[in-house]
Amino acid sequence: MIIAFKVDVDGVLLACSALKKHHDAELVFAKNRRELEQKLSFSGTDDRLMYLGFTPVGDTGRLVLEILGKRPAKMSRTDTGPVQYIDLVLRHSKANPAELVRLIISCNGSMEHLYTAKTKVARRYYNYMRDVTRAWQRMCMFARPVFINGVLTVEIKSSHDVADIFCRWLAKKNPDVPVAVISGNDAWVGNGELVGLDHFTNMAAAFVKSLCVSSSSKDEEVDDIDGLWDVFYDSQMIKSRRNRHLAKKMQPKSSAGLSKMAKSDRYKVERGISNCTLDIFDDTECEVDT
Amino acid sequence: MNEHQLTLTERMRILSQGTKYDSCNQSAVCHAFGPDGRCIQLYKTLLTNSCAGECAYCPNRSERDTVRASLTPEEIVKITWSFYRKNVIEGLFLSSGIRGDAEKTAEQQLEVVRLLRGQEFTGYIHVRVMPGTPKYLLEEIAENANKFGVNAETTSSVNYSEICPNFDYNNDILTRLKWTRDLIKKQRHKAGYNGRIVGANDTQFIVGATGEPDREIISTVNKFMNKYALRRPYFMSFDPVPDTPLQNGIPSPKWRENRLYQASFLMKDYGVKASDFDVIFNDDGFLADDDPKMRLAHEHPEIFPIDINTAARYELLMVPGIGPISANRIMHARPIVSEQELTRMGVIISRARPFIEINGSKQTNLYSFQAMETGS
Repeated sequence: MIIAFKVDVDGVLLACSALKKHHDAELVFAKNRRELEQKLSFSGTDDRLMYLGFTPVGDTGRLVLEILGKRPAKMSRTDTGPVQYIDLVLRHSKANPAELVRLIISCNGSMEHLYTAKTKVARRYYNYMRDVTRAWQRMCMFARPVFINGVLTVEIKSSHDVADIFCRWLAKKNPDVPVAVISGNDAWVGNGELVGLDHFTNMAAAFVKSLCVSSSSKDEEVDDIDGLWDVFYDSQMIKSRRNRHLAKKMQPKSSAGLSKMAKSDRYKVERGISNCTLDIFDDTECEVDT
Repeated sequence: MNEHQLTLTERMRILSQGTKYDSCNQSAVCHAFGPDGRCIQLYKTLLTNSCAGECAYCPNRSERDTVRASLTPEEIVKITWSFYRKNVIEGLFLSSGIRGDAEKTAEQQLEVVRLLRGQEFTGYIHVRVMPGTPKYLLEEIAENANKFGVNAETTSSVNYSEICPNFDYNNDILTRLKWTRDLIKKQRHKAGYNGRIVGANDTQFIVGATGEPDREIISTVNKFMNKYALRRPYFMSFDPVPDTPLQNGIPSPKWRENRLYQASFLMKDYGVKASDFDVIFNDDGFLADDDPKMRLAHEHPEIFPIDINTAARYELLMVPGIGPISANRIMHARPIVSEQELTRMGVIISRARPFIEINGSKQTNLYSFQAMETGS
């Protein structure tokens, strides 16, 4: 028997439910039908197949209760719940959904085991969850979108599949403008109804350039916004409180790759803020805070 | 230099510098960190640094000869939108010098807030209201801002009159703290759990400007927490500013501010009472430059070591190196069998080790070894 399931939360939960009944079944996973057909044709198996998650599931609530239990498993306010845990883990570039299904089954209804990381696999998947959380949170912190044809657009690079959650976050933060997050050849558009699309849509990156909406007066940027940000950033420095160790920890090197502005901020964290400007060109005192 | 000769960038620099000592946090996304490691998440600015007040410690006091600048509400709104869209901020922190009187200043602050909300700005707005702001304006600020509060600066009316001679501590500060408490309660009730964020009452103290001991500050914070639902006090070390009456004052050491923050977190999140600190104050009522939680633990050897698998949550919280999050994790993950598990849960094991035991086994410390040797 082969349990073939879609790589999403519903698919994983359905696979867990099926695996509970058919312990000896093999697990096969795919992002969509086409990928699944390819995998199956490659293996050339004749076993009985069970397709799970490829058609929309009506009520996931019952499944959540059956697999994850009634009691909320998260251990503290800062932890994500088990459904989000699965969602985040599936986005990790190294996650193996079949292994995740077996891990959930091994918890036997006590989802705390996903967080306490008492086994090697649980620890690895907990770290996956943390990696993905960190990756999208860093995007929320350091990505710097720009208006292109009235669409707030940002291009991101991540080894994990976080473009859609970042796009949702950006759309929620800016509910009055369409937003687009481009990741490779794919793009996600949020608040799409403002450009005649669905509220949240996936499309080819090349198509984003053709989107156009007239921007309101409030979105006319002040001149040299990057320069103005530098002025503000520098103004917040308290020289006597320079704490390079803490600042480097909070604004890590990896943040610099997310945008030009974040790169410049990171440079100041590393090297200090130079007080050499043209205004003091004639002055002899010209130093860098180190 | 005349204010009219200053460019927008110059005025912005001056007014943002005026807020660099103001602490404010939304507890959400930080978009940058300054070279001092502090999170930058709001565009912090003064509306103006012209001020009618004569606060003895303040660089913007009326009698001081300094460059005065201001931004119009439209300019602040424009900069805020630009930064917000660029994803470098989550919102605005707006403070001001007192131009004319508190009422006029609050009117102008409100104008900025009204403009932003009128343009459907959904970001966070924190308004630092002036001492003596009338209630009707506070009510409107409460309707639009996410957080608003007045700075207490010090612990008593005697101290306050010494550093802020233009204002009355009881009326201009304490009454406003009471009003903000009531307005926050009302707004939270209205907003519910799915509505906008309504921040708790907050205030800031200047540490060391009037010589008040830490005992007095902690006792005031405790009083404010109970009476005005203060959630988180902010502290700023006094640093003498040239050309002010306190220019020859002694700057307060930065560690003092840190220790006060630690003490306030112990009161806020760990269930420690103000009176519990009595055993760790020195004779003059000051904290030492040491972690207050560690000090408290050393003062109560009779309750340690505690068994990590049987201790109640409040007992776990007394252990240095264990915070509220790791305490919750421990409660859920029991039985704990090794220190490695605790480390994974966020416990700082090097700090916690002398105060805990895991299933009966504990670290043998030098003191117990000495006691064994002497037979005592």
